[in-house]
Amino acid sequence: MSENKILCNTDTVDLSIEDISEEFDKLKNIEDSKLSLNPENADSGLAKLVLTLIELIRKLVEKQAMRRVDGGLLTEEEIERMGETLMKLEDKMEELKKYFNLTDRDLNIDLGPLGDLM
Amino acid sequence: MGKMIYAILSNTNSDKLNALLFGMKGISGENLITVTFNEISAVVSHIKREELIADQASAIAFAGIIENIGQHFTLLPMRYGSMLESAELIQKMLEKNYSEFQQNLQKVENQSEFGLKVFCDSEKLKDEMRLKSETDDNPSVKSDEGIKKSVYLDYMNKKLKEHHLEEKLLNYIDVVIAEFTEKLTQLNAVSKIKKRCTATILIDAVFLLKKEKKDELVQVVKDSQNKHPELNYTLTGPWPPYNFVDINLK
Repeated sequence: MSENKILCNTDTVDLSIEDISEEFDKLKNIEDSKLSLNPENADSGLAKLVLTLIELIRKLVEKQAMRRVDGGLLTEEEIERMGETLMKLEDKMEELKKYFNLTDRDLNIDLGPLGDLM
Repeated sequence: MGKMIYAILSNTNSDKLNALLFGMKGISGENLITVTFNEISAVVSHIKREELIADQASAIAFAGIIENIGQHFTLLPMRYGSMLESAELIQKMLEKNYSEFQQNLQKVENQSEFGLKVFCDSEKLKDEMRLKSETDDNPSVKSDEGIKKSVYLDYMNKKLKEHHLEEKLLNYIDVVIAEFTEKLTQLNAVSKIKKRCTATILIDAVFLLKKEKKDELVQVVKDSQNKHPELNYTLTGPWPPYNFVDINLK
């Protein structure tokens, strides 16, 4: 490019340059975060896809649950039951991630210009 | 052999355009030429399909060509890889989309795009908010207090606190956005803003405004930076209006 395009950049770095370059690396290595399905990895690729969708739905359910608790309309028993359900769902997700050797990062798809899925 | 399209622009000053393009090369080393329909032109170069490589160097070279032309003309930048088989097909494309090209050229006339990214470690920020709310004895967490002890209720308490912190963070981002958009409105800037894109990019925004208002934009960003030293701002530009061209090609 013909000129310096950075017009203003913070130097007071609470966030390290590594953190920022990590973001740029993410943009460069966007391929890594895409779901890749091929005959060799059909099992794990499908597991990643399915678990990503389940995790997204689980987080949405969790968020909605928190809103209901915040609304103050639930009894203590209802909140406790909700807690039990959400906790078991989270435990089950951890179990499945371990089984398929996936991390939280694997389930957070990079949607490019839209940002991360979760 | 196809034709790679770099940009669409008004050819009301065709002599100046031809003088600028004289000697300029496309990404495959071929000369840049124009294909014209009425008052608009497409800047193109010959390219073989097999020469079209989707790599970073080619994309940067492509953007550099658009950038050079954009310094002298208002243009609509095309996406890397936009190509048609012949000049006749390009001319037909210009004809079919003529009014949309004209409208978009008017919209971005003498304007440039600027990009702003605001970085911060959101977890660290949330930790600070957590500490502050604990010391302030914030009454907003009253719903936590109503929940008595049990494993599941403890779990709900923990989740509720995380939920409140996330909401506080989003409110804080909204305040930062509202502060600078208020000032940008005075500059007649058009904004597109996304918040909380990733764990570290809190705000990802693009602005379209008159080229001569660049310094005022820089000042708005610096003021916001001074007000929020915990955030890290990166403002870039001027760019061709990549995010403000709205055309569905027919």
